[in-house]
Amino acid sequence: MINIPKKPPPSYLVTIGIPFAMLFTVFSFQRVGFNLKDFRENLANRAIVTDPLFNPKWSWAWENTADAMVETVQIAILASIVGCAIALPLSFYASRATNLNKYSYFLYKSFLNLVRTIPDLFWAMLFTVAVGIGPFAGVLALIMFSLAIMGKLLSETIDSIDPGPMEAAKATGSTHNQTVFTSALPQVLPNFTAYFLYIFELCIRASVILGLVGAGGVGRIIETQRIFLRFDRISPIIVIILVVVILIEQFSVWIRRRIL
Amino acid sequence: MDKKKDIMNIPKQPISQRILKYTLTTAIVFASLWSAAGLEITIERILDAPRQIGILVGAMFPLDTSQEAIDRIIPKVFESLFIAWAGTVIGAIFSFPVSFLAAQNVAVGAVSRITKQILNAIRAFPELILAFVFLPITGLGAFTGTLALGIHSIGTLGKLSSEVIEGIDEGPLEAIKSSGGSKINELIFGVIPQVMPTITSYWLYRFEINLRASAVLGVIGAGGVGQELINQLRFRDFPRAGTVLICTIALVLIADAISASIRNRIIQGKVVKG
Repeated sequence: MINIPKKPPPSYLVTIGIPFAMLFTVFSFQRVGFNLKDFRENLANRAIVTDPLFNPKWSWAWENTADAMVETVQIAILASIVGCAIALPLSFYASRATNLNKYSYFLYKSFLNLVRTIPDLFWAMLFTVAVGIGPFAGVLALIMFSLAIMGKLLSETIDSIDPGPMEAAKATGSTHNQTVFTSALPQVLPNFTAYFLYIFELCIRASVILGLVGAGGVGRIIETQRIFLRFDRISPIIVIILVVVILIEQFSVWIRRRIL
Repeated sequence: MDKKKDIMNIPKQPISQRILKYTLTTAIVFASLWSAAGLEITIERILDAPRQIGILVGAMFPLDTSQEAIDRIIPKVFESLFIAWAGTVIGAIFSFPVSFLAAQNVAVGAVSRITKQILNAIRAFPELILAFVFLPITGLGAFTGTLALGIHSIGTLGKLSSEVIEGIDEGPLEAIKSSGGSKINELIFGVIPQVMPTITSYWLYRFEINLRASAVLGVIGAGGVGQELINQLRFRDFPRAGTVLICTIALVLIADAISASIRNRIIQGKVVKG
């Protein structure tokens, strides 16, 4: 007879969690108005969208999107550079390894968490109200967006650096700032570059939709055509966006391979 | 050679590295200047921005905590939660089988390549673009948002899950094969137990992302709290907009904390005391 050890009883996470998750799922589907019959009926009317969507008006898109597309890329470039530049010093304050003051560490960490909870388009809406409609609001929104991501990624990287070089610098009598500057910063610079390129890609994707709330870029053209259901004009714009996004991602992958 | 150099014999950075460093710095400075000029961002606007933002934040306080506002906002906040959850469930259910088809070590080469390309194509469209394409078909409301989130999640979860499956330890599979197990047995007893914890934690992680995305979807009328925020900002009702914002932040923070603690429990296991 094979002596199989007894299976341990499932944890409370499984016994309570799974039924709860199932109930919550059923409830959620009810609340969002999920209804297969209606859905099937609605799908029968898909022609209003799919017909124009698959008959793109290329000539119109070529004439009208070039400037806005450049604007989109410019928003992403400026916002990712400024956002990451601001995040660089903040991350050192938001890491336990380099900020010895417990309270200021907690303060910076909470600030970064707070910025991260607000979605990019919410920032864009708030900034369009504050500084007016246009790409400047978009830049500010994406600065907050990249600041939040870089702050989280970089401060966690700083948390896990090798403490050896910092101890060595301290042993030679350097001040805390000198220690951070000469031994912590060089350790995370390669990560910083990699994260920057990643954030730049995210910013390009995010800046495409900023225009939906008036914060500049190619989304502004999508928004005006969307309201009039001109999907024949939207579909070529989407294709152009996809091509640009893919090209920029390839470029960023190429740079990453060169410098890292 | 002067004395100082003699003592501090620090090797110079190789010339190729220095050239790379200066080219990159120039490129970054040039790119930001070009962008700033193209977007007509002037020094005055930058200097004036903090004041303008201060005015907006000042206008939001004191927050609108009247019963009427709360009654309007709280259901919308929860609607975002339901959209995010339902979208994640759709993504999880459909991406799970698909990820096996996309994994190189489970599916045949051609099938895996084609499935991966399909997943890439789905992932390329942002949720918001999917949402406004569905909007005329399925109508204004939470269901459209759920659908958009669900489909986008199939793309992202499918990719992540298939990568988890590709990274499994082949040992248990061999053990099952050598004891006479079929291909199906291998999947059920060899692959799934290995990948389930990581995949479940990805589902939860996706839920956290979807929560932020679903808050945004309301901007185009696909349900959730975004609609409330954009309406209040349009009508210049800043105290109420502030309440919407605070409620959204609270929801995201709480949901993140719960989801992150469950993820940690799944990945790291139970902490046994004593």
